[in-house]
Parts: sequence; structure tokens; C-alpha cells
Amino acid sequence: MKIYDSLGAPNPRRVRVFLAEKGITNVPFVQVNIATAENRKPEFLKINPMGGIPVLELDDGTHIAESVAICRYFETIKPEPPLMGVDAKDKAVVEMWNRRMEFEILSMTAASFRNTSDFFKGRIPQVKEYGEIAKSAALKRLEWLDTVLADREFIAGPRYTIADITALIGIDFGRTTAIKIQESQKNLTRWHQAVSSRPSAKA
Amino acid sequence: MKIYNSSLAPNPRRLRIFVAEKGLKIPTEEVDIFTGKNRTPEMLAKNPAGGLPFIELDDGTHLAESVAICRYLEGLHPEPNLMGKDNREQAFIEMWNRRMELNLFAVAARAFQHTNELFKARIKQFPEYGETQRETVKQQLQWLDAQIGNKPFIAGDRFTIADITALVGVDFAAQAAGVSADPALKNLARWHQSVSSRPSAQA
Repeated sequence: MKIYDSLGAPNPRRVRVFLAEKGITNVPFVQVNIATAENRKPEFLKINPMGGIPVLELDDGTHIAESVAICRYFETIKPEPPLMGVDAKDKAVVEMWNRRMEFEILSMTAASFRNTSDFFKGRIPQVKEYGEIAKSAALKRLEWLDTVLADREFIAGPRYTIADITALIGIDFGRTTAIKIQESQKNLTRWHQAVSSRPSAKA
Repeated sequence: MKIYNSSLAPNPRRLRIFVAEKGLKIPTEEVDIFTGKNRTPEMLAKNPAGGLPFIELDDGTHLAESVAICRYLEGLHPEPNLMGKDNREQAFIEMWNRRMELNLFAVAARAFQHTNELFKARIKQFPEYGETQRETVKQQLQWLDAQIGNKPFIAGDRFTIADITALVGVDFAAQAAGVSADPALKNLARWHQSVSSRPSAQA
């Protein structure tokens, strides 16, 4: 088993933090250079025809792409500590929150970056105005998330879950386009400090 | 249990097809999205994200996000299996479901939202951005045709949630985003005919 990884990109960090929380330390990581578009070369497209990173390679040669699918694989082979819910209802609640964090936060900070950064110039058709809108949407979502966190310790309730990982990485990636938690957002600040101080946040 | 549904929107169709494939009958309440009934304070108290579908459990819990709801139903009614039986298969199907969601369905949705009259007053539209998304949908349909190849279904040899997401995505691209699959894409056409002829497709 090994994981194709890229330091600096947000999605691979999701899997690294997840594995750190699970205490799984024996999976080798192989770095793929996205700056030189190594992930778009025919060799890598055989591993993941979408060209995305991370990708998990199983010993039978199966390739599992998509961060959350990779996390689910590890959740089922090592259920403790549970990061994706414990029964049918809890699993659905965690997945709901994880998806909200993905669509409302991470994909917004990512869209802001993709459409305005020099990194993506020439790689995708950039629409700067759309990037600006994504940024203001992300800032609004942070306001909303601050109110969500008023009555709970973590995003999906009393326990740390994959939804916290996605939110942490979505918010931290916002730094690339100056999307930041405001000082007035006390609940969000408290939560961000708590999840950032876990050892897994350095993974 | 009760489903809050919209018979016009694509995400609720995903859930309806899933429910039909499971052979379940769940009471449904129609919410009129045209008059913004999903955004009333009463509805936002149930699902603060304002989206449809969501379900109400007998204990009063509300679960939103189509895939989270499907996972809940899969947990309660494992057969016929639509989301994978073992670790490897669950991750593999989730990978394909997310590819269909993020690279096809979500792109078609953005093409629609940024070019259609319906969304003029709801979001700040960038028709130029909508056009880039339309182009991406076309490329993704070609890519999908190659990926399907001789496979009977998206994630391999049996019908799964990935087929549901792909079907709803392809149909939505054609009906709402103005991108119909080129009939020369034979694998895609064969697959589409096969999944469309299942009774669940009418749900």
C-alpha cells in the first residue's frame, strides 16, 4: 500500500491529517510534483485518470482516488478512533457536515485561488470575477460557521470528525487569497485554535 | 421518516432513484423552490443550508445532503447494495460517485446557474464562467465515454450510486445546461440507455 501525495495542496493534507488522527504511520507516501504537472502525464493518468492527488494504491494494484473515498477505506480497516460516525444516523450526520464543509468552504476557497492565482494561469480558463465572488461567498460562510459552532465543540457535534479536517483545511487554504477568520468570530476562532493545536494538524 | 422533495431539482431526483432501487416507500412532502419555500425561516430551521432534499427522522433529526441521506438508508436497508460491500468496494464506489458528482454533475450545475434566467436574481451570474463550465462538461462526457469502455456500469459490473449520480448529471447537463452527450460517444450512449430503462429512472 502507498499514497501518492503532494505537499502544499489541500486535498492530500486531508488524508495526511486523517491518517495522523487514526495513528496510522506505516503507509509510505510518494511525492508527485504538481508544479511541473507530473500528475497530468500519461504515466500518472494510468493511476488516476482524473489527474488528481491524493491516490491510494492497494497491494492488489487497485487505485482509490478522491480524498473522502480514501479516508473511508482507512475508517473501515481501522474503525478507532471513529472519524466518520459510529451508527447509521451518526454516519449520515457526519457526512452531511463534511459535505457542507467541502462544498461551502473548501470548494469556495479553492475556486477563489483557482480563478485568481498565477499558479493556475494557462492551466484552466480563469474568470477573475468569479474568483472574487467565491471569495466573498467563503467569507459569508465563515460568518455562518461561527454561529453553527456556538452550541458545539466540533463541526458535527461533540466529537472531532472528518468534517473538522475538511473545515480546517478549507479555511487554512483560504490564506492563499486572504480569506481569514475575523476576530469577532469567537466560536470559529476557538474551534480553529483547538483543531490546529492537535498534533495531526502538522501532518 | 419523511422526505422533503422537489420534483424539479436534480439532487432530490438522486434520492428518489436511490429509494426506488431499494424498493422503499417513504412519505414525501413537496417544497416549491420556485417561490423560495426552501428558504423560509421554518425550512431553514430544519436545513440551514436551504437545499433539498433532506429527511426528517422520527426522532426529529434532520439529515441533509443527498449522499449522506443515501448512506443512512443504505445502513438501514443494506440490500440491494448500492454503496459497496467491503472496504475496497465501498471506497471504489465512493471514488466513482464523487468523480461523477464533482466533475460532471457539479460542473453542469454551475453552467446552469451562471447562464440561466432562473438564477439571475439569486446569484451574481458570470455567463463567461458558465461557458467555461459548459466546455468542461463536454470534455467530461468524452472522458466518461472512454472510462466506461466496455463496462456495464460506472463503477464496474453492477448498478451503484455512481450510476445514479452520473444519470442525473448527464440528464441535467442536457435538459438544463444545454450540453447533450454526442451520440458518437457510443459507450456513454449504451450505458445511458441501459440505466434510463430501469424503472427507478422514472422516480
